[in-house]
Amino acid sequence: MNALPGLLFDGLAYGSLLFLVSIGLSITMGLMNFINLAHGAFAMIGGYASVWFSHRFGMPFLATLPLAFAVAGLAGLIAERVLFRHLYRASHLDQVLFTVGFVFSSIAAATYLFGSAQQSVSLPAALQGQVQVMGVDLGRYRLFLIGAVVVLSAGLGLLMTRTRFGAQVRAAVDNRDAAEGLGLNVGLVFSLCFGLGTGMAGLGGALGVEVLGLDPGFALKYMVYFLLVVVVGGAGTLSGPLVASMLLGVCDVAGKYYLPQAGAFIIYVLMIVLLLAFPKGLGLGRPSLSRLPLSILVRRRA
Amino acid sequence: MPDLLSVEGLCAGYGEARVLNDIGFALRPGESLALLGRNGVGKSTLIRSLIGLTRRQGGRLRFAGADITAAPPFRRARAGIGWVPQERAMFPSLSVEEHLTTVARRGPFDLARVYDIFPRLAERRANMGNQLSGGEQQMVAIARALMTNPRLLLLDEPMEGLAPIIVHDLAAVIRRLIAESGLSVIVVEQHARLALSMTARAMVLDRGRIVHDGPSTELLEDNDKLGRLVAVAA
Repeated sequence: MNALPGLLFDGLAYGSLLFLVSIGLSITMGLMNFINLAHGAFAMIGGYASVWFSHRFGMPFLATLPLAFAVAGLAGLIAERVLFRHLYRASHLDQVLFTVGFVFSSIAAATYLFGSAQQSVSLPAALQGQVQVMGVDLGRYRLFLIGAVVVLSAGLGLLMTRTRFGAQVRAAVDNRDAAEGLGLNVGLVFSLCFGLGTGMAGLGGALGVEVLGLDPGFALKYMVYFLLVVVVGGAGTLSGPLVASMLLGVCDVAGKYYLPQAGAFIIYVLMIVLLLAFPKGLGLGRPSLSRLPLSILVRRRA
Repeated sequence: MPDLLSVEGLCAGYGEARVLNDIGFALRPGESLALLGRNGVGKSTLIRSLIGLTRRQGGRLRFAGADITAAPPFRRARAGIGWVPQERAMFPSLSVEEHLTTVARRGPFDLARVYDIFPRLAERRANMGNQLSGGEQQMVAIARALMTNPRLLLLDEPMEGLAPIIVHDLAAVIRRLIAESGLSVIVVEQHARLALSMTARAMVLDRGRIVHDGPSTELLEDNDKLGRLVAVAA
């Protein structure tokens, strides 16, 4: 039996989740050159928020998703204003040490509040089971994941290319000094981006409980994946991380199936190969620019 | 009339390095000032210090009646300092129109008025910042600064690298702005005669200090003095 279509599908669903969690990291790293290893902690906060609201108040899974976004976004906004902004001018080593410390604090806090057990969510009946599409069994939930990420990415693309806020973000990424000297409060723009990015991560964490699992070690376990997406995709863009997420998702799933001995090592080989080919990230046609504009996802026509 | 801008004892540079030493001058509303000097004497550093992008090592700045010594660049811009950066500083991922609308603030200069000043930009409104000729980029940089509705316009080498015909047109636009809009203008320019012909007053910098401050016509008429101070054949 040919397993490829099913693997491809699972890989895309997995990649969708990676993209949802990592896109905020890409934007904030591109904008502030801030190495944030703690990004996964906000995905975890979103996951726990979803689980907590559904267990505590009996809320249906889908209704907890906006709350997961809001809680993680707010947590990110507060953490940025109170903690992270003081590290923008620090060395990358200081940023790494601080944010790794933040990850360990998040592990301790999650263990204290929720225990060390794996959490689970109860999906609505409509999202359980399989549907057959052209002879291939596709998980309904994974189908829903891909659809949700397509809609969210399109929304984010529109926000970045069609709104004044999006233009301010692009201006700040393109030339921070000029944006600031022309009256844009780049610090505030960045805080909002950070909150938006951690909110998306929180949503990804909540959607991912069923696929990635959720325990206090979440932020550490998946840190490498989120960083890979940004390193391979290029910081400060939408399209690069999108392609990188899908590649990583498909290769990770397929690699573990076809070459179980190599297991999780496949993605590192992929990273090395891609970085050798595109040292500055997958910049869709413009690899010579180190910081690709966000507008690449939706091209303006003259 | 009270001064629009006053600079007292300004020392500034980058990191530990000091470029400007004890700079002091004042500018009245509507006054136009040419900032002259050889390469590397601190002209652009002074412009960047006024908008707040250098490291201030001493001195005070007042603008429009408020102390802006400690104000970050975006507050200075919002207080009414319009900046046309050296080398134009386009945003490659913004269209021409986005360059203008993203920084716009309420006032007499709106899209219709800047497109009236620069009809070329109306034709190019959907082009991205990196798809423009040098002259068009400079028009965007000036139009963008005007859209912030400033009271003081800082022009940092606006003619750099442009063809003579475009320099001629841009100079006409800048002269008209100075004459008609009531804006105060500080212009840094390598071509001393061009800058002097656009302004009422001229200041010459040398090694981070002001070495001359007087009417532009005085330097225009005294070739020897101009040559001594600025050493240009233009």
